[in-house]
Amino acid sequence: MTGAAGPAGRRAPDGPDGPFDPALAAAQEALVRAMTAGAPVPDGFDAAAVRAAAEGILRKRAGEVARAWPALAASYGADWPRAFAAWAAERPTRGSFRDGWDFARAHRDELSPEAALRLALVEAGWAYDGNGEPRRRRAAVRRVPGGVAVQLLGRVTVLGRGTRR
Amino acid sequence: MSAIQTTLGVGIGWRPDITGFVRELPGLRFTEVIAEVVRPAHPPRDLLALRERGAAVVPHGVKLSLGGAEPVAPERVAHLAACAEALGSPLVSEHVAFVRAGGLEAGHLLPVPRTRAALDALTANIRRTCAELPVPLAVEPIAALFDWPDAEYDEGAFLTELVERTGVLLLLDVANVYANARNRGQDPAALFDRLPLERVAYCHVAGGTERDGRYHDTHAAPVPGEVLDLVAELCARRRPPGVLLERDGRYPPAAELRAELDAIADAAGMERVT
Repeated sequence: MTGAAGPAGRRAPDGPDGPFDPALAAAQEALVRAMTAGAPVPDGFDAAAVRAAAEGILRKRAGEVARAWPALAASYGADWPRAFAAWAAERPTRGSFRDGWDFARAHRDELSPEAALRLALVEAGWAYDGNGEPRRRRAAVRRVPGGVAVQLLGRVTVLGRGTRR
Repeated sequence: MSAIQTTLGVGIGWRPDITGFVRELPGLRFTEVIAEVVRPAHPPRDLLALRERGAAVVPHGVKLSLGGAEPVAPERVAHLAACAEALGSPLVSEHVAFVRAGGLEAGHLLPVPRTRAALDALTANIRRTCAELPVPLAVEPIAALFDWPDAEYDEGAFLTELVERTGVLLLLDVANVYANARNRGQDPAALFDRLPLERVAYCHVAGGTERDGRYHDTHAAPVPGEVLDLVAELCARRRPPGVLLERDGRYPPAAELRAELDAIADAAGMERVT
């Protein structure tokens, strides 16, 4: 550490533990909104390069969601990165677990039986209102393709399909 | 803070998918783990085994947002510190980048403007972080497809001033240097002459993919020969204590990964670890 006093006090009032620069904060937020939420690219940037970077992030997010929700991604085969990117382009990430969950809920009619089963099993284990953090349920019963999933204290059993999980 | 003294050698980033491969490397003395996946009370067993063997395990944070205008989150700093304690790490690393703003997650590392205002924010956040860490911090300049307008510094001057202000170490990602220069039509080695190379704690190397005329640093492809040449060029100027391969997907067969580690060792003039 050099211990030199920063020049922050000249630019903006210091917060309790250092400088806070509202102009920098606003500029960073405008860029994130452009890259994740469909807002226009701020003036002065190479818009094509910013869009290419945003597309790269969407491909990376698609890969992360595929790892958290493999059956979901498999529902779409080779089209998964495109399908996910089309949906996610204006939705900032809330983590791959919730991104996959939100995507699956928005595409219930398109899911393969295996992906629908995984969604039902997750929903039997966790309460999630689509906004806040998912919370573990103590117990739940959910209809799943071909049967009923019963979850008690974290253990999920599927009845009526001839398989137990 | 003095520059790191120990010799790390050639390393590879530990990932759950390749834990068996990493564990079996006979000469490995250096690995890195993504800090956000570690539960400090229960670190991955293979990492603890590597630590037992004397390997340095460096927690590498990706979500601290040191370059954000907002102060770093104290719980994220505490997590990095807890990882370093749990893994007996000689240092921790993070990025010269921001990853969220206004409550929105970018989903990836974004570049900061090369301005005095951004330097002030970075300086404050690095100081806040170092104050809570039990070990030194190294920061990594990122690969970015675009720059902010109205830069007041070039990259070398920006990073040099950051190091002078904070005493932070550098994690120099040679593949990022390559990607940035390639996408801007510049000479990658020119940056080496503008950085305080004695402050480099270690280096990263990785592969990427060209897409629509732009080179993306994906970590999911073999390391290009040009990046290996750049490693050799860096080491001819000043050899860093360690060089670590980052691979984050599309894992090749073990023999290919071993050959890649050997090629990195040869380029860096370091002992092979395979």
